[in-house]
Amino acid sequence: MEEQGQVIQVVVFQLGDELYGADIAVVREVGPMQRVTRVPRTPRYIEGVTNLRGRVIPVIDLRRRLGLPVTAYTKQTRIAVAELEGGQVGMIVDSVKEVLRIPTDAIEPPTGLVSKLDAESITGVAKQADQLIVLLDLAQVLQREDRKVAG
Amino acid sequence: MGFDFETSLEDIKVFLDEAEENLQVMEAGILRLEQEAEDPEILQEIFRAAHTLKGSSATLGHKKMAEVTHAMENVLDKLRKGRLFAGAAVTDALFASLDLLKIYKEEIATGVDSGVQTGEILVLLNAVAEAGGATGQATTPAAPVAAPKAATSTGAPAPVLPLDLAEEAMLSRGKSEGLTPYALQIQLDPTSAMPAVRAFQTLLAVGDLGQLVRSWPTQEEVEEDRIGKELKLLFLTVQPEAAIRETLAMIPEIAITALQPYLEAAVPETAPTPSVSAAAAIAATPADAPQAAAEGAHAPVSLKGGRNSRTVRVDVDILDNLMNLVGELVIDRTRLLQVLTQLEVERDGDELTQVMSAAVAHIGRMTADLQDQIQRARMLPVETLFRKFPRMVRDTAQIGGKEVDFTILGEETELDRSVIEEIGDPLMHLLRNAVDHGLEGPADRVKAGKSAKGNVRLEAFHEENHIIISVKDDGRGMDPQRIRSSAVRKGLLTEEAAKRLSDEEAINLIWQPGFSTAEKVSEVSGRGVGLDVVHKNIERLNGSVEVFSALGQGTEFRIKLPLTLAIIRSLQVQVAETTYCLPLGAVVETDRIPSDSIQTVRGRQVIIKRGEVIPLIHLMDAFLLEREPGWTLPEELFIVIVTVMNRHYGIVVDNLIGEGDVVIKPLGQFIGDVPGVSGATIMGDGDVAIILDISSLINTVQSEWGKSGLREA
Repeated sequence: MEEQGQVIQVVVFQLGDELYGADIAVVREVGPMQRVTRVPRTPRYIEGVTNLRGRVIPVIDLRRRLGLPVTAYTKQTRIAVAELEGGQVGMIVDSVKEVLRIPTDAIEPPTGLVSKLDAESITGVAKQADQLIVLLDLAQVLQREDRKVAG
Repeated sequence: MGFDFETSLEDIKVFLDEAEENLQVMEAGILRLEQEAEDPEILQEIFRAAHTLKGSSATLGHKKMAEVTHAMENVLDKLRKGRLFAGAAVTDALFASLDLLKIYKEEIATGVDSGVQTGEILVLLNAVAEAGGATGQATTPAAPVAAPKAATSTGAPAPVLPLDLAEEAMLSRGKSEGLTPYALQIQLDPTSAMPAVRAFQTLLAVGDLGQLVRSWPTQEEVEEDRIGKELKLLFLTVQPEAAIRETLAMIPEIAITALQPYLEAAVPETAPTPSVSAAAAIAATPADAPQAAAEGAHAPVSLKGGRNSRTVRVDVDILDNLMNLVGELVIDRTRLLQVLTQLEVERDGDELTQVMSAAVAHIGRMTADLQDQIQRARMLPVETLFRKFPRMVRDTAQIGGKEVDFTILGEETELDRSVIEEIGDPLMHLLRNAVDHGLEGPADRVKAGKSAKGNVRLEAFHEENHIIISVKDDGRGMDPQRIRSSAVRKGLLTEEAAKRLSDEEAINLIWQPGFSTAEKVSEVSGRGVGLDVVHKNIERLNGSVEVFSALGQGTEFRIKLPLTLAIIRSLQVQVAETTYCLPLGAVVETDRIPSDSIQTVRGRQVIIKRGEVIPLIHLMDAFLLEREPGWTLPEELFIVIVTVMNRHYGIVVDNLIGEGDVVIKPLGQFIGDVPGVSGATIMGDGDVAIILDISSLINTVQSEWGKSGLREA
C-alpha cells in the first residue's frame, strides 16, 4: 500500500470468526445466496454456476477455497461478485459487514498471523477498532490452483 | 513501422470485408481463366475487383497493395483487350500477386508490417505484361475508341459552376490544348458504408482520365469525410464520354446522375439535373449533408436505379448481441408461462388470467418470429467459404500429380456464420484427402477403366432442420480389409476384434485417433492432423459426419450440421435432482428398462436391444457424482440411447423431463473446459442447467475404462 495518508475502500466480509476485506473496485456487487448448479468434474471448492441476471457465472465457496471448515448456509450468507480479468466470479461468504475506508498507514504487511493462506493471496492486515481484517488479493485467491501448476 | 492510416477502425473493418470479397472474386476468376478460354465477362470481373481494391487501398494509404493491384490491372487490361494470352505464366503471376495481396490484407488487419516488398512481383507482372506483345505503354488506359460525341447525354443543360480565377484559367488553358471540359455529377449510394472512400475513388479516377479542375465538395473535404450524398466535378480530358463512363463504372456504390461537356454560361444557375420525382427522392433520403451540398442544384436521386442495393453491412457483434437478447426473451417467456399456469390454477381462469394468457401467447409468437428473423440475419451463403476451395484443390492436385474436375453445388445454401467459420478447416481437410488419397493418378484411373480426370464434388443442401455438406470423389474407395489390418498394425484393436467388425464398422475405424490410411505421408495431407480431429470439430458444432465408401468407386463424406449454434434443441434429463440438457442431435431414442435386464460383459454393464449390444453409461458415474446415502437402484431405469462415431451407447438417468430449445451460454474462462460438458443454459425457472457434450462424455468415459480394444462388448 503506497503513499502515506492515502485511504483505500474495502468490502468487509466474514468467514467464521475472521474478517476479510477486498478492494471495492474488484467487488462488483453483493447479493443473497441463490441456487447454484454443480458443474461436474471441477474442483470441490467450485460450487458451480449461477444465473446472474441472464448471465451464467461461476461461484466458488470461499471457505473451501481458503481451507476453512465448511458450514451450512444461513440467511446471512451472501454471494459477492468479483470482476476479474477472465470475467465475473461469485464468492460465497458467511456475511457481508460493511464498506470501510482504511488509511493505508493502518495496514501492516502480511505476517505469520494468517498461516492458512499463501502470502501471495494477502496484501496486508488492517487493524480497525481492535479487529483484524485480512485484506485479500482476489485475483490471486481466485486463480485456479490446478492451472497455476501448468502455467 | 505502423501504418499511418487516417481512417477509423470501422473504415478498416469495412475495407477488410470488401477486400476479402474482392480477393475471392479475383481468385475464382483467375481459376476460371486458367481452366476455360478467356471469357470477357470473367476478365471484366477480375479487373473490376482489382480496380476497386486499388482504389480503396490507396485511400487507406497502403501503398504496396495499391502498387500490386495497379500492376495487376495493367496485365488484366491487356488480357481484356486481347493483347495478351492467359497462359500459365500469366495466371501463375496473377496467383502469386493474389497471395501477396492476402499478406498485405493481413498487414492492414493486424497493423503489423509483414516486411514483404512489392519489388519482385512488380517485376514479374511487368515482364508478363510485356511478354504479351503490344510493347510500350504500361498504364495508359485505352486509346480513344472512335465515337467522340457519344450519344449526347441526357439532354438537359449543365448548371453553371462557381469557379475561382485560377480554375477559370486552368479551364481555358485546357480547352486551348484541345481538352474537353466535362461536368460530372455523381450520386453516392446512401447505403454505402464508406461514401468518402467512393468519392475519393471517383476523384482519383477522374484524375487518371485527365485533369481535375475542381470538385464540390473539394478534395480536402472529401478526405476529411465531410461529404454529402453527391459529388460534383469539373475536369478536362481527351477521353470520350463512353470511356469516362466505363472508367466510372468500375467504382462501386456510385451512380452518375449527370455527365456532359461543360459549356459555361449556357443556362442560369437553377437548372436542375435530369431525373425522376424529386419528392420521392427527398422523402427517401433525409437531408443530413449540410455543408457539402452547400451550393447549387440538389440533384434528385434515382432510387429506382438498380445500383442501390437494399442491404447494409452489420457488425457480427451486434448480431451476436441481438441473438443473446432474444435468448433472454425466450427465457422470460418460459418464466411467464410458468407463472401463468400457476395463476390459472389459483384464480380459476378468471378474466385477468385470460388477458394474461392471450398476451403471453402473443409474446410467444413474437419471440419465435424474432428469433427466426435474427437467425436468418446471421445466415451467410456457404459460397463465401466454398470460394476458397477451387484454388486449394487445384494446388493439391498439381502437387500430387492428379487431374481433377472439381464441382461445387448448392453454394447458395445458407448457414449460420459461426458454423461457416468453424466448418472451413474440416472441409478443407476432407477435400485435400479426397484429392490426395481418394483419387488415383491419371494412369491408374485409365487402367481401371475410368476417365483420366478424377471427379471431386462439394455439395451443400438442406435436409429437414439441418444442412448437409457432402464431399464426394470417384476415386479408389476404401478397402475395409486394408483398414482392418492397418488398425491392427497400429495397435488400435486386436486382430480378433478386427475380424468381428462388419465392413461398415471397419471403415469407421478411420475416425479413430492415430489412424491414417495413407501408407506414405504426403506433403499435402499428412500433416499429423487426422480424421479424428475432423470428427471432433464437427461434433463440437453439434453436427455429425458419416462416411460411405465403395471399393473402386469412390468415397463420400456427409457432414450434417445444425442451422445455428446459439440455440439447440435438447432433451432435458434429471440426475440426482439436477437437470442436464442433451443435444437432441445425438439422441436416437429414449427407453425405460427394468434394471434386472442389465447384463454384464467383461465387467461392464450393457443391454441388448434388437440384437445389438449397447454399453451403458451412468451419468452419475461419468460425472463422478455421489448418491445421497441410502440410495438404491430403482427397479426401472431411464436410458437415453445416443450415437457417437456411429456407435450406440445408453446413458442412464434418473428421469426424463422433456424437450425444448435452449440457449447455449459458455461456462467462462474460470471453469474452462470440462470433459463431457459443452456449456450451460438458463431454464425457465431461472436455474442454470448444464449442457452435455455427448461425444466428449463418451470419449472421457471410454478412456477411463482403459484400453481393452474398441469393442467393450
